[in-house]
Amino acid sequence: MKIVVLVKQVPDPNAVRFDPRAGDIQSGTPQVANEYDLHAMEAAIQIKEQQGDVEIVAVSLGQARETLNRCLAMGADRAIVVEDAALASGDSAVTAKALAAVLRAEGFDLILVGQETSDGGTGSVGPALAALLDVPVVSNVVALEQQEGRLTVQREIEDGRQVIDLAPPAILCALSGLNEPRYPSLKGIMAARRKPTEAKSAADLGLEADAVQSRVSWGALFVEEETAEGIILKDVDADSAVDQLVAFLQERKLV
Amino acid sequence: MTNGASGVLLVVETRDGAIRETSRELFGIGRTLASETGGSLAAVVLGSGLDAAASEAAALGADRVLVADAPELAAFTVDAYAKAVDAAIDATSPAIVLLAGTTGGRDLAPFLATRRDAAYLVDCVRLARQDGSWVGTRPVYQGKVLTEVRAAGDGLTFATIHAGAFAAPEPDAGRTAETTALELNFAPGEIRVTVKDLVQAEAGPSNLEQAEVVVVGGRGLGEAANFKLAEDLASVLGGAVGATRAVTDLGWRPHYEQVGQTGKTIAPKLYIGLGVSGAVQHTVGIRGSDTIVAINRDPDAPIFKMADFGIVGDVQEIAPKLTEKLRAVRGG
Repeated sequence: MKIVVLVKQVPDPNAVRFDPRAGDIQSGTPQVANEYDLHAMEAAIQIKEQQGDVEIVAVSLGQARETLNRCLAMGADRAIVVEDAALASGDSAVTAKALAAVLRAEGFDLILVGQETSDGGTGSVGPALAALLDVPVVSNVVALEQQEGRLTVQREIEDGRQVIDLAPPAILCALSGLNEPRYPSLKGIMAARRKPTEAKSAADLGLEADAVQSRVSWGALFVEEETAEGIILKDVDADSAVDQLVAFLQERKLV
Repeated sequence: MTNGASGVLLVVETRDGAIRETSRELFGIGRTLASETGGSLAAVVLGSGLDAAASEAAALGADRVLVADAPELAAFTVDAYAKAVDAAIDATSPAIVLLAGTTGGRDLAPFLATRRDAAYLVDCVRLARQDGSWVGTRPVYQGKVLTEVRAAGDGLTFATIHAGAFAAPEPDAGRTAETTALELNFAPGEIRVTVKDLVQAEAGPSNLEQAEVVVVGGRGLGEAANFKLAEDLASVLGGAVGATRAVTDLGWRPHYEQVGQTGKTIAPKLYIGLGVSGAVQHTVGIRGSDTIVAINRDPDAPIFKMADFGIVGDVQEIAPKLTEKLRAVRGG
């Protein structure tokens, strides 16, 4: 069985700050593995531990060497990175087309990906790949069991949890409730150094420039003017802040 | 418009035969955009047992209602819903297809847009036509900032609409619309996944939905043990304790305490968020709250944009002081 895990390296969501002059997030924000993708990675490793004969390939678009090294250290067998600036700056549809080219060349039984990234956060790549590769997709996955070649999946939706039965090949989009991603062990980190990471270009993937034109463009980032009514205390010591909050609650007759 | 495409198609999800609130919210913006394209407003209503929902779609303003009523549509699957929406697109040739930003809408829109090589604008809080293009505004970086997204508008376009961004119109019960049933005829194996069951979230002992005061703890509390801070504060205010999805995912709290898109919707007189960042999935569940108070370390946390009173600071220091002070005030 071959499992391909799609991962992305993103600005650390806990460190993201808006820079109004640049109309962007502050430059130099540290990069981390997208959280949901690590849950997808963990799910792949658990299947391998349970079943044995499984190859795990971690695939990323854009700069992602640290993230891929982490995946290799967690237990992926090898990694592929598409380091093409034009592709990496494309919209979700371009991302999906580039990843589909890798997936067609590689072949797969199962594709695991995080539900969405913490940056663009479209959540579109899984469903778009399902359309491009003509395989079923199940999103918002919070439980996954594999038995006799079939998958039983639970997905979290507005009304509860859907319990779904399906057979590979398929695409599953992971939420953080799925599992607890392991930290790489020292042994894993050492082993990762001997595992191959293959770099591919758009040309390697046979992607023509005009086939990967973005249809959706992003403008500058901005924030809405603060709503006038909201009182937000910053840099106020805790006792004084609490006094002001209690006075506010009393004024509104809430206490 | 090329190919004579004009007008708007709404993808309307139902639950137990009634239109979902998030889908009702599509009708107002749908009407506005339909006028801007010089076309009409069509709605495809999806589910099983839909006579009432079809009339409701007409009452909410659809000029034309397509009814996709089949047992295969009782539970959401991408394959079945995509087939129905595809048929509705073929029948109506819209300029734009609007879907609610539900788990289903967020699956269907990119799937269909990709199959039709169409542009897709995600999770719009605003959406308009400008000089022939579609221009949407959407939250990015987990709701910390917004950006404008733009699609050429010269072909079919898809958009999902952020829950709560647009008000649902008042239904006009006297209104009628041309209503057609879609013949779908699902072939065996065409729906490639089988929905075996829907496990309802456990009701639990929590009275979140009725409580006048709700204290919600988020991941910013740091660890499960720190939920005591939320419990103590709720106790002194006679309120209930809720949790964000991040917290229930981590197993810190039971699922029945989860507030938000895939949890409970609450409308207390007073909401207090402790270490809650205010991700969209959570805030859609609290927007009926009268007064929102937030305490969070991150000044850019989106919850501060909707808070009536916010404190940027260390929740572990502030929450106990707040509880103590309130106990003194209420006791005295």
